[in-house]
Amino acid sequence: MTAEALGSLVPEDVRALLRTQSLRLGRPIYGRGFGRHASTRVGPGREFRDHRPYVPGDDPRRLDWKAFARRDRLVLRQTESEDELTLALLVDGGGGMGYGAGAEGKFTFAASIAASLAYLAHAQGDPVVYAMRGGPLPATTTLRLRRASESLATLAEALRHHRPSGVSAWTELLEAASHVLPPGSLVVVLSDLLDPGGRGRPEDDERMLAGLQHLRARRHDVLLVQVLHRDEVDFPWTEDRPLRFVDLWNQRPPVEGAALAMRSTYLEALQTHLRAWDDEASRRGLMLERITTNAPLAETIARLLRRLGEHRASLR
Amino acid sequence: MNFLAPAFLLGLGALALPVIAHVLGRQPPRDVPFAAVRFLPVAELVVSQRRTIRDRGLLVVRLLLLALAVLVFSRPALRHEGPLRVVAQVHDCVLLVDGSGSMALRLGGSPHLQHAVDQASAILDALPTGSKVGLWTSDPGGPRVEPTADPSRVREALERWVEDGAPRWGAWRLADALPGAAAMLPEVGGRPRYIYAVGDRFAGGSTELPADFAGIPVVPIPATEEEAPEHVALLGATWEPAADLDPRAVRVMTTVRRTGSAGEETPREIAVALHIAGEEVARTTVSLVPGAEQHVEFTPTLSDDAEVQATISIVDDDADPLPIDDERHLWLSAERGLEVVVVNGDPSELRAHDEVYFFNTAIAASQGSGHPRVVMRSMAPDQLEQDLRQRGAQALRGVDVLVLANVQAPAADVAEPLLAAVRGGMGLWITAGDRLDPKAYNASLLPLLPLRMRDAVEVGTAPGRAEARVEHLAPPVLSHPIFVGLRDAAGLETSRARKIVLLEPEAARPHDVALSFTSGAPALLTSTYGRGRVALLTTTIDRDWADLPLRPGFVPLVLGTLSFLGDASSNLAHRHVRLGEPLRIAGETPVMVSTPEGREVAVRPDKDGDLVFTETYLPGHYRIRQSGADASMFVVEVDPAESTTSATKAVEAPVLGETSSFVSKPQWRLLLLGLVVLLAIESSWRWRSRGVNRP
Repeated sequence: MTAEALGSLVPEDVRALLRTQSLRLGRPIYGRGFGRHASTRVGPGREFRDHRPYVPGDDPRRLDWKAFARRDRLVLRQTESEDELTLALLVDGGGGMGYGAGAEGKFTFAASIAASLAYLAHAQGDPVVYAMRGGPLPATTTLRLRRASESLATLAEALRHHRPSGVSAWTELLEAASHVLPPGSLVVVLSDLLDPGGRGRPEDDERMLAGLQHLRARRHDVLLVQVLHRDEVDFPWTEDRPLRFVDLWNQRPPVEGAALAMRSTYLEALQTHLRAWDDEASRRGLMLERITTNAPLAETIARLLRRLGEHRASLR
Repeated sequence: MNFLAPAFLLGLGALALPVIAHVLGRQPPRDVPFAAVRFLPVAELVVSQRRTIRDRGLLVVRLLLLALAVLVFSRPALRHEGPLRVVAQVHDCVLLVDGSGSMALRLGGSPHLQHAVDQASAILDALPTGSKVGLWTSDPGGPRVEPTADPSRVREALERWVEDGAPRWGAWRLADALPGAAAMLPEVGGRPRYIYAVGDRFAGGSTELPADFAGIPVVPIPATEEEAPEHVALLGATWEPAADLDPRAVRVMTTVRRTGSAGEETPREIAVALHIAGEEVARTTVSLVPGAEQHVEFTPTLSDDAEVQATISIVDDDADPLPIDDERHLWLSAERGLEVVVVNGDPSELRAHDEVYFFNTAIAASQGSGHPRVVMRSMAPDQLEQDLRQRGAQALRGVDVLVLANVQAPAADVAEPLLAAVRGGMGLWITAGDRLDPKAYNASLLPLLPLRMRDAVEVGTAPGRAEARVEHLAPPVLSHPIFVGLRDAAGLETSRARKIVLLEPEAARPHDVALSFTSGAPALLTSTYGRGRVALLTTTIDRDWADLPLRPGFVPLVLGTLSFLGDASSNLAHRHVRLGEPLRIAGETPVMVSTPEGREVAVRPDKDGDLVFTETYLPGHYRIRQSGADASMFVVEVDPAESTTSATKAVEAPVLGETSSFVSKPQWRLLLLGLVVLLAIESSWRWRSRGVNRP
């Protein structure tokens, strides 16, 4: 069941790609346990860092005898530590992600990306935690944290069987995550970011951005993956017949009219919204990648990994 | 422009429906589940959707379609003022429309009848509101509409009459239809009554009507004021044997007339052909100037004795405006004639003293004059009696008329076969003389005698009248069928008689007097007995008692009497029945009549026991069959009077209070064409705008 679920989310071509890639940030991290990622602290690694004078109580096995011969005093050899990177996947499972059919469905596409990243982290031995938001609030507000070896199968099953609906309560989720995640985690948010509150209010956008900024303040790296369908980008309806746009969040009354007449207004409002998110993400130190579901999945994942590898923002 | 059914114009209000539907009506929108609803403009679009008219061109086409349909139903017509005047005040009237044969004359592409219907329609348009109008036609079988306040009923009846091709082109006179039209207008509350008589300006048409009839003013209205076009006509046709050429030869005669103003002198070649049994056997060409006539004669030789159909026609003249008189029909026969047996009761070796000398001379002189051909046999009285004794009534089989000229009286034992022959349809003519025995006649042939005979007397021998020893004939009763075609007394009234047979007045015995003496004593009486007819001449047919044979009227008298007597026995081959004229057929048992179009019409005795054939609406050859065998023939012809298309002088019309009148010309047929074109445009438009773009 697990293999089947994961197979449906991560196709074979993506797996082949992932076998040649690694999930790495472009800067040292400060992890909780030993891992494969360059750390900001001294530890039992292989890479030489520097020497320090011996003080009583140090492990005599770490004495650098060659340096003692040259300097005639006892020094200890220090190496770089290698830590694990906790990957936190926050997947938007609200109604807005239900647009699109088949492989081009927004939630399907987001789920495939999440599963692919989890698969890669699992292969590297990094812990993976995830939280999926959507549906009735009381049932979905819990952030679950598990070891990667345990969570991968559960994650694949949950993603596969989830049907997007309801509103994502980002404020509560981000706040909970900030308290639970170990410092220096990589938080990947998969959402369309079109209407975080489901009611079209700008304050909901602001609240979400504040929550993400709070994560950033807790020394987490945050990658926002904005998943859009090409219909949302291009608004291709040009027929004369009137259309009734039904809100997938189920929070607003349907909007009815001639699509051709409302196209330009829509595109203008959308571009304004996207530009605002670009600006805010940049200002708040968040990585934002905008993808459309008609793009090849493997290319999209490679692009995301590349972006992470190029991320060199220093910890504050 | 006016509308004959203006109520339908209310339908134009329906034009608002497509517009309202276009503005208020919406297509059911297609549902699109969507995540970015927050970026869609809301209020403006919903409102604009309801107010926007899309496909303006299609809407215009559909509105035009609807408007045209409404206009077609309201029957628009162009009105223009015409010369016609009708009474201005509210009144009751009857439209009397001429349906005679001359109304078939085409003028400007339409027959006169169509022009008359147009005129009648114009009268209907011009009638003041509240007037009642009825319809009567000179054709006895034409449409009739009782006076009604709804003129459309009259209009529809007229249009139906013309469109169905119903006019029968009979020789109806418009004046003869006045009683019927007047009967439709009983006086009610002192309302004015008028008869508008619409007809041609030819003889028998609208110009020969009285100014009023039964107290109702008659307003003559010509169907058209235009001059009648020139046409060619055959004025009847006759035939006679031409034994001088060949025993089977006949002489067929007709007269060709070219109508028109006599001022024009350009002659025109007119071809006339004779068809016998469907095949053309002769053709000739005559050259006529307008207004001229030409006698045409053919002398074909017939192949057998049976009656054969012959038709004389003008050929190669399809453009003739009155084609109904371009053809004439005849039944021809080499042998068949009026079979007359003369029993000479007083033969003489001296021809002038022979009893039937003048009789024979009159018949011989008449051949070729248009009278029936007479085939005569003579017989002695004893020879007749012998035949009757031997063969009974069969001895007289085939005999049309038996003439007993100064015969004493048939013996009592042969009276019954003789009576039977007369009952069977044979004609019997008894002429008086010295040898006639009145008592014997009264004894043996009383049932068929018009009146019981008394003894012969010398006229002028009564006391006080010794100086006048002759009796003059009174003018003949020209209404008697014997004198058909005779316009005056033809000298008969100058005839004198010395001796006559007196008759016993007897009211119970029905008879007709055709000729009488100035004293009142009958000279020639007729009666019927069974299917046969009997004539009794109370003086001699030779010069013994009277000088009747010396008078000019003797020949038509003899031939007329023979025709009258022989008519009942069937020789109708020479009978020409006018179009539409009922034909009385002798006999009491049903017969079948074959018409030119091949129909078989059964003729049964009517309530009076007479056989009357009324379906004489088609010119051509008719055949009467009795008991499966041909009994007789006749032809139906257009009355030659209908060929006369020169305008007669109009009588002065009564003075009317006037009102303007209009003539309506229908326009809705043109609109129908536009409707079809618009429908095609609308269909192609919809076909083009089918395609839509859906993501």
